Amino acid sequence: MTTPRAGQPGRSGEVFDIGYQNYEGPREGRRRARRAVYKEGIRIALGIGRGGRAKIMPWAFIIAVAIPALVLALIAGTVDRLTGGLGDEVVDLPSHGDYYGIASVIFLIFAASVGPELLCPDRRDRVINLYLVRPITGTDYILARWAAFLTIMTLVAWLPQLVLLAGLAFGAENPGTYLQDNWADIPRFLASGFTLAVYVTGIALVVASFTTRRAYAAVFIIGIFVISLPFAEGLSGDIGGTVGEYLSLLNFGQIPLLMNDIIFNEKNLATENTLATQLPKLTQIAWYAFMTVGPFLLMWRRYWKITP
Amino acid sequence: MTTLIAARNLQKVYGDVIALAGIDLEITEGVTGLLGANGAGKSTAIKLFLGLIQPTAGTAEVLGVDAASTVEVRSRLGYMPEHDCLPGNVSAAEFLTHMAELSGLPPNHARSRAADTLRHVGLFEERYRPMGGYSTGMKQRVKLAQTLVHDPALVLLDEPTAGLDPGGREEMLTLIKRTGDEFGISLMLSSHLMGDIERTCESIVVLDEGRVVEMGPVTSFTEETEAIAVEVDENREELIAALKERGVEPLVDGSSIIVEGVIGDQYDLIRDALVAANAPLRRMAPRRHELTEIFERDVE
Repeated sequence: MTTPRAGQPGRSGEVFDIGYQNYEGPREGRRRARRAVYKEGIRIALGIGRGGRAKIMPWAFIIAVAIPALVLALIAGTVDRLTGGLGDEVVDLPSHGDYYGIASVIFLIFAASVGPELLCPDRRDRVINLYLVRPITGTDYILARWAAFLTIMTLVAWLPQLVLLAGLAFGAENPGTYLQDNWADIPRFLASGFTLAVYVTGIALVVASFTTRRAYAAVFIIGIFVISLPFAEGLSGDIGGTVGEYLSLLNFGQIPLLMNDIIFNEKNLATENTLATQLPKLTQIAWYAFMTVGPFLLMWRRYWKITP
Repeated sequence: MTTLIAARNLQKVYGDVIALAGIDLEITEGVTGLLGANGAGKSTAIKLFLGLIQPTAGTAEVLGVDAASTVEVRSRLGYMPEHDCLPGNVSAAEFLTHMAELSGLPPNHARSRAADTLRHVGLFEERYRPMGGYSTGMKQRVKLAQTLVHDPALVLLDEPTAGLDPGGREEMLTLIKRTGDEFGISLMLSSHLMGDIERTCESIVVLDEGRVVEMGPVTSFTEETEAIAVEVDENREELIAALKERGVEPLVDGSSIIVEGVIGDQYDLIRDALVAANAPLRRMAPRRHELTEIFERDVE
């Protein structure tokens, strides 16, 4: 059909149905497929490309994680100004080393709520069957999902520390001097945040790999942390001694905080009375490694031979 | 004709159960039907062709590559499972873009292919709606679209009309036929419904208890027989009597009257019987075999 263009009587356009076109562009195979699973994992975790409801949970938690840091930063700045730079001496303000002790509960709930979303729906809706008939293996899939959630958890762990750092630096009389004096805190909180992220990512995803129901996984993960706290702390306190110190390791919520203490070389607010801190550092590190690598291997075992 | 799938002594055993008992077959370009009852070995064969499971013995070469040795060949394959497999909270456009990327297409190409493919399956207008609100027929079309979005060389469809109402089934079969004829994509269609295979396929492989019992072009199974099928609007009984008077023993098959061994002037004999019975002729044509008969004969 020929249609004269409005205002240009001399010109005309034609509309063709060009039908099905073969694809002649690049094909990037397995490498692209792995990246696609990773990217989709990030999008799922943040609710991108999903309805409004899918965005509420992750963003609410991200804000909730950042709020304590913001409050601490504001208090530190205000106290410092009111006391003429003597804030540390007047009020014992929580530091970077204390932050995860205060906010780790929010991280755990975040991981329990959002982590299963990366695995459970794919198996419940059987979308996984469409993944596995493409140029990826079960191992590619689970590694990409694990890496995606680790990325999110690491960024979520670092965000409040950066807010706190900014608050403390700009609250100080001279931000440059503050950063010069406290620069060592930066690699410490980056390392501590990463160890926390690796730990919660493993726990959240290994539990999610055993159920198709996100809610069951979330309740189970939170249950692990809630039940292990009074169990391990109560029992270790009653028994005491070396046995008590080892029993204290069964408080699963505190395992990443032990690493935090080792990295900052000081006890934080949550581990002040934890007997496990009396154990040799190597034992604490070995236990952390076991509780991180173990779930990872278990999760990988669930997927490496998965078939539709 | 290019060979797309070549199975040689392909065997799969699960414990004591022989799912495939060493089959040999070659699938070339076009639309091929994989026909068999439940448990015949169709799904196992498809899994072996996709390289999802290792064969107990033998090899399955797909697009010239041993399917069990690499996953890269799946970049040029499409697979549509029988069951539901779509996330409800994602739009078809998002989903297809992701599926295209999973097959190795860069993101910008994946996006444009997703929109094009949804247009071809008739879902362009609905592409931004979450798929949870789609009808069964629409979901089935998205399932087909995800097999085509990366422009594969071969698509494997597992019971593509399962769960569809007659209208939806008709649409799906038309779409499959178009995919083969217009898009130039080869398909292998697994089904236990002979009507689906007869409607869409050019060649057929019949499996039973893990063995290939028939293989060849569909036309060789549906060729003309030496029989004439006659349908009349009224006076059916009179026509049968008139045929018997002329020494013909007709068979009745549904609404058709079958006259076997028709040669030469027997056409005149049928004409005379129609006139004598005063039966208005609706249809008279050489009768063809049906796949049903072949399948029943082979599995008996």
